[in-house]
Amino acid sequence: MSWQTYVDDHLMCDLGDEQRLTAAAIIGQDGSVWAQSANFPQLKPEEIEGINKDFTEPGTLAPTGLFINGAKYMVIQGEPNAVIRGKKGAGGVTIKKTTQALVFGIYEDPVTPGQCNMVVERLGDYLIESGL
Amino acid sequence: MADDKRKNTRNDVVLIFDTLFSVSQSSVSSSQSLFFASFYLVLLAMEALVVDAGSKLLKAGAAVPDQSPAMIIPSQMKRMVDDDGPSTVSEDVTLDPIERGFIRDWDAMEDLLRYVVYTGLGWEEGSEGNILFTDPLSTPKAIREQLVQLMFETFNVSGFYASEQAVLSLYAVGRISGCTLDIGHGKIDIAPVLEGAVQHIASKRFELGGTELTKLLAQELGKSNPSTNLSMSDVEKLKEQYANCADDEIAYEKTQNCEIEQHTLPDGQVISIGRERYSVGEALFQPSILGLEEHGIVEQLVRIISTVSSENHRQLLENTVLCGGTTSMTGFETRFQKEASLCSSAIRPTLVKPPEYMQEDVGLYSAWVGGAILAKVVFPQNQHVTKADYDETGPSVVHRKCF
Repeated sequence: MSWQTYVDDHLMCDLGDEQRLTAAAIIGQDGSVWAQSANFPQLKPEEIEGINKDFTEPGTLAPTGLFINGAKYMVIQGEPNAVIRGKKGAGGVTIKKTTQALVFGIYEDPVTPGQCNMVVERLGDYLIESGL
Repeated sequence: MADDKRKNTRNDVVLIFDTLFSVSQSSVSSSQSLFFASFYLVLLAMEALVVDAGSKLLKAGAAVPDQSPAMIIPSQMKRMVDDDGPSTVSEDVTLDPIERGFIRDWDAMEDLLRYVVYTGLGWEEGSEGNILFTDPLSTPKAIREQLVQLMFETFNVSGFYASEQAVLSLYAVGRISGCTLDIGHGKIDIAPVLEGAVQHIASKRFELGGTELTKLLAQELGKSNPSTNLSMSDVEKLKEQYANCADDEIAYEKTQNCEIEQHTLPDGQVISIGRERYSVGEALFQPSILGLEEHGIVEQLVRIISTVSSENHRQLLENTVLCGGTTSMTGFETRFQKEASLCSSAIRPTLVKPPEYMQEDVGLYSAWVGGAILAKVVFPQNQHVTKADYDETGPSVVHRKCF
């Protein structure tokens, strides 16, 4: 199973009614991209750093906001050292931390935050079980 | 599509009522009216249930937003223990399944919910529908998970959703952003909400509420009426009847010589209430009366708003909502406005007036009303936790799907 297959088949899967996430990626915690979907935005090094820091010290991103290639997301309730969730209008992002990587899922209306969470976190849990 | 279906069901219900009234005017057989009644009940079962369990009162009802909750019952329960021996002593132990907003006693909670859902609101075993619960701020994950587990495994509901009370109170007044000040029986929550998401970093919860105010009143009355015996439930009623907020701090000082009222307790004792009732209201603005080293609630509110990023300050300040039983105290709102205007001009909270089509006392049930509004959106669009989701993922699914 290549990383790209994980993104294409599992993250960008059909959620029902031909709906999918807008973009998804699996990125190492050092910033290296393991695989990404076609239109996933380019993350800047300081943004990855901010995300890593927020996982270890929750609350650092909330005052300033979560940035993904310059697009600002408002940080909402996540799970310390496991999940960061951000909201931008009717869409948003879910970031799940695994042992060595970060799984990203970006969604827009009409996909709901719950659906994005399920997809991203389920894959993340599977990777954690496999030691990745 | 789903909306059309709902509208059709509504029209059907109206038609049935019309027929019922016209038919009943010309003597109707009891079986026919029973048929209509049972048909109506079946339709009722399609509505989601909304339950707002508080430390003092449990509000529950079918999700009809422009009405008060159908059931408003005290959360406190009594366990009757009858002795089987020759002496027929029955001990009454009062239990509070919900303490400070959180569910603590799960067995009692189960019994309470069983009563509410089956006896009070007419669900039938075997055809449970969807249920929506409200959570206070910072509910521990374990409590949420246990509630989901209880609902799906013991009550066998078909759908579940949970939402924070702060967000729901805002929905009740027609907003998605704002700051809620929820003064309940067991806790005070101050939560800024932006676009339906609570800013947890900025929100604050105080382990102080109506209970502390009742204790204060009991203490003060005990000092001024040393010979009378007061039970807590009597003091609670006195508090609801007499508690008042002075216009401001100076007026409070003046109440030293305020008029003393005589009140007759149910057991015949007469007590006099004077300054004590103003102390109850004042305690919220000057917690030093309760012996706490905290600032008054208005100042806390302003501090909390200032910790949120500044672009949102205005939105939060202009949309401040008061909710919770204790805010219905006479003079509370006026005092709040006054204290707010004393703040530095840049940061001045303004209270939101509920829309006119809402009930008078929506402040008391705002979390429930918000829940009813949310239920109408979440369940038809399948954004809730279904039995299938629960079976597949387990209780932790509540953190992923409900927020």
